[in-house]
Amino acid sequence: MVLKAFFPTCCASADSGLLVGRWVPEQGFAVVLAVVHFPFIPLQVRELLARVQRASQVGLAVLGTWCHRRREPEESLGRFLEGLGALFTHKPWLQLSREPDSRRWNCKVSSPGAPCGEDQVMLIFYDQRQVLLAQLHPPATLPDRRAGDATATAAEGGLAAVFHTVARSEALFQSDRFDEGPVRLTHWQSEGVEASILVELAKWASGPVCLLLSSLLSLLSWLSTWRLCRLCPLAFLCSKLCTCQQLRLRLQHLQLVFSTQKAEDPAQLMRKANTLVSVLLDVALGLALLSWLHREDRIGQLADALVPVADRVAEELQQLLEWLMGAPAGLKMNRALDQVLGRFFLYHIHLWISYIHLMSPFVERILWHVGLSACLGLTVALSLLSDILALLTFHIYCFYVYGARLYCLKVCGLSSLWRLFRGKKWNVLRQRVDSCSYDLDQLFIGTLLFTILLFLLPTTALYYLVFTLLRLLVVAVQGLIHLLVDLVNSLPLYSLGLRLCRPYRLAAGVKFRVLERESDGPLRLLMQINPLPYSHVVHNFRLPSCGCHPRQSWSSLCRKLFFGELIYPWRQRGDKQD
Amino acid sequence: MCAQPGTDTQGVRWQKVLYERQPFPDNYVDRRFLEDLRKNIYARKYQYWAVVFESSVVVQQLCSVCVFVVIWWYMDEGLLAPQWLFGTGLASSLIGYVLFDVIDGGEGRKKSGRTRWADLKSALVFITFTYGFSPVLKTLTESVSTDTIYAMAVFMLLGHLIFFDYGANAAIVSSTLSLNMAIFASVCLASRLPRSLHAFVMVTFAIQIFALWPMLQKKLKACTPCSYVGVTLLFAFSALGGLLSISAVGAVLFALLLVSISCLCPFYLIRLQLFKENIHGPWDEAEIKEDLSRFLS
Repeated sequence: MVLKAFFPTCCASADSGLLVGRWVPEQGFAVVLAVVHFPFIPLQVRELLARVQRASQVGLAVLGTWCHRRREPEESLGRFLEGLGALFTHKPWLQLSREPDSRRWNCKVSSPGAPCGEDQVMLIFYDQRQVLLAQLHPPATLPDRRAGDATATAAEGGLAAVFHTVARSEALFQSDRFDEGPVRLTHWQSEGVEASILVELAKWASGPVCLLLSSLLSLLSWLSTWRLCRLCPLAFLCSKLCTCQQLRLRLQHLQLVFSTQKAEDPAQLMRKANTLVSVLLDVALGLALLSWLHREDRIGQLADALVPVADRVAEELQQLLEWLMGAPAGLKMNRALDQVLGRFFLYHIHLWISYIHLMSPFVERILWHVGLSACLGLTVALSLLSDILALLTFHIYCFYVYGARLYCLKVCGLSSLWRLFRGKKWNVLRQRVDSCSYDLDQLFIGTLLFTILLFLLPTTALYYLVFTLLRLLVVAVQGLIHLLVDLVNSLPLYSLGLRLCRPYRLAAGVKFRVLERESDGPLRLLMQINPLPYSHVVHNFRLPSCGCHPRQSWSSLCRKLFFGELIYPWRQRGDKQD
Repeated sequence: MCAQPGTDTQGVRWQKVLYERQPFPDNYVDRRFLEDLRKNIYARKYQYWAVVFESSVVVQQLCSVCVFVVIWWYMDEGLLAPQWLFGTGLASSLIGYVLFDVIDGGEGRKKSGRTRWADLKSALVFITFTYGFSPVLKTLTESVSTDTIYAMAVFMLLGHLIFFDYGANAAIVSSTLSLNMAIFASVCLASRLPRSLHAFVMVTFAIQIFALWPMLQKKLKACTPCSYVGVTLLFAFSALGGLLSISAVGAVLFALLLVSISCLCPFYLIRLQLFKENIHGPWDEAEIKEDLSRFLS
């Protein structure tokens, strides 16, 4: 079995000493974590290792010796190092050495059973900092995983073990060379511990801030569960308006971010960070919108433009209805029914226009207050926009519902009367069509109604078609707004930024690059971290949103449209699945 | 093949079985092979006049359709007042209703258990619905082209004739479908008439001639065959007369059709019966004669 020694690149120029690390016997890995320098007292080295082991739960040991020959060969040092093998007993005793002038590396392994040659050792260099900070994806698997590809599983497990070992032994890297400790080590932080004053300050400040904010938020959520809010019309409205949904979602997000409990695992930490960044970006965009709106009195312009636009839409609808009441596209419409339906819808439009004109003095004030909501975030403003759109196109929704109900009635009636026409009936108990003998009057009335419905169907179908198209247009606009809101809500911006600036933090695996290989030296490889692809980042760290994705497939949508069943855009939100 | 009939040299008799070893080649048959052949055992012998009598059902139905179309034409042309047609139809319906009970002395009514109250209710439903819907019917097909309506009516009446229950036991027969098609055609044609009263009277007339008249006919045919022949002849001549007043060519063609159906077709059937060669024998499929339902339960 080839012994693989993982050696940190920062130790390549260290002075001679002892190799400290972990031995993974299953894969034949030796993970070197640090080099202990002379002079040391073996007892203190053992104490240090035991302390780190207690903190990290990872079995650490002295793996061998490291000999960096700077000047002429020091025979005495070599012999002394060999002698250390007797002091620290370890099964395969590594003896690494680096020649001073040439870039030659030697590696000897002496195990008690069978002495290994040099060519059975593989030297793998790794960047300790990157490996320590990296998060391996998918997360480390359990050793007793299902035996699929045995070698691949073993390799993955081994890699996970390396990452795990380095990540857990953080206690070993706490001391730098300026510390007056009993043992001197070389590792990635030995030149000085990495830290930032800002980060430390933020860490100190975060505790009380989180406490304050979380208590405020819990007060808010308690208020929202107040009995007054659960009264029938209010609760119904809240479940329908997407502004309320969005506010509720944001409240949950803030509660998650400012919860006083510490994040248990890196995934939750990442989720918190993503949520925080999403909220911050949302608010920043909202403030930008707010400042844009309040510059040059844009709200007034909007309010002035809104009423004419609504009027214009109503006018267009009126023209459309008049066109439908004529003979549109030379279709065979029933004139009487056409007139009735057209007048009914025209009256509706008339009602709607009066309503808009009644509202017009208050529009500017309403818009001003709505504009203020943008400081809660762009998503809230967008949700409000969607709601306003829904309210402004309420007449189209009404038309659609009337048309759909009428059409549905006709289609259902026609399908059952067609069965009567053929002398069949639908057997509810057996869920099939049976033959049936009808009375004479039943047959007569059924056929009469069938004929009437059949000849009236094109008229109703045309009205239904036109209003469904209008409705679908509104639904599509609302869907776009919801998509945008969803994007801001669920995009893992923090993870994406991390992937962009620190690609090694999100590791998908590693690749090995062969450093130059001498004929007699050990094979030397450089381990580099493969970053996670962007698509996986988005997929893995997506924040749960309120689920606006269309639950129904296209075919079922078409079916519903054909049979005149109502389609609701806001039905598909979260809790409305019946 | 060339062996002695019945026996071979050892005096063994040939048997038509496969489960015994016999001293004959496999493809051997003897004279008795075709002994069981029977011909035309189920073929029926028809009497000419009986067939002509039976064909009168078809003639009646053809005449019904013809009368309906003629009446519609008169109404459409304005030659026939709807009140008059309604009055006549009502009177003849009442006469027919009385006849219906008188012919068999109330036997059929007792058997079906239908009360007079139910009859009155049905009549009221017919009248009310037709009268209520007649304005709708009037404007129903305004925008549809007249040719489309005519084509639809023709197809529906043809369907009515095809699916009508003439007494044959076939899968295609469906009196429900036939009646529905006739009503559909009548509604289509009624919607072309000038006023809603016309439409109402037309649909009412359609019910009388397509739904009620065949019921009376059936009873007449079963109880008093002689009067049935008379009624059929009368009906056929009146239909012919009506058609003659519209178009002579149509009347001639219709008369030819009637004659060929009632006289030529039976004659041809009986002639063709002579050429019937229906062979039966032990090779027929097994036919289950016994009622097996008691085993199945």
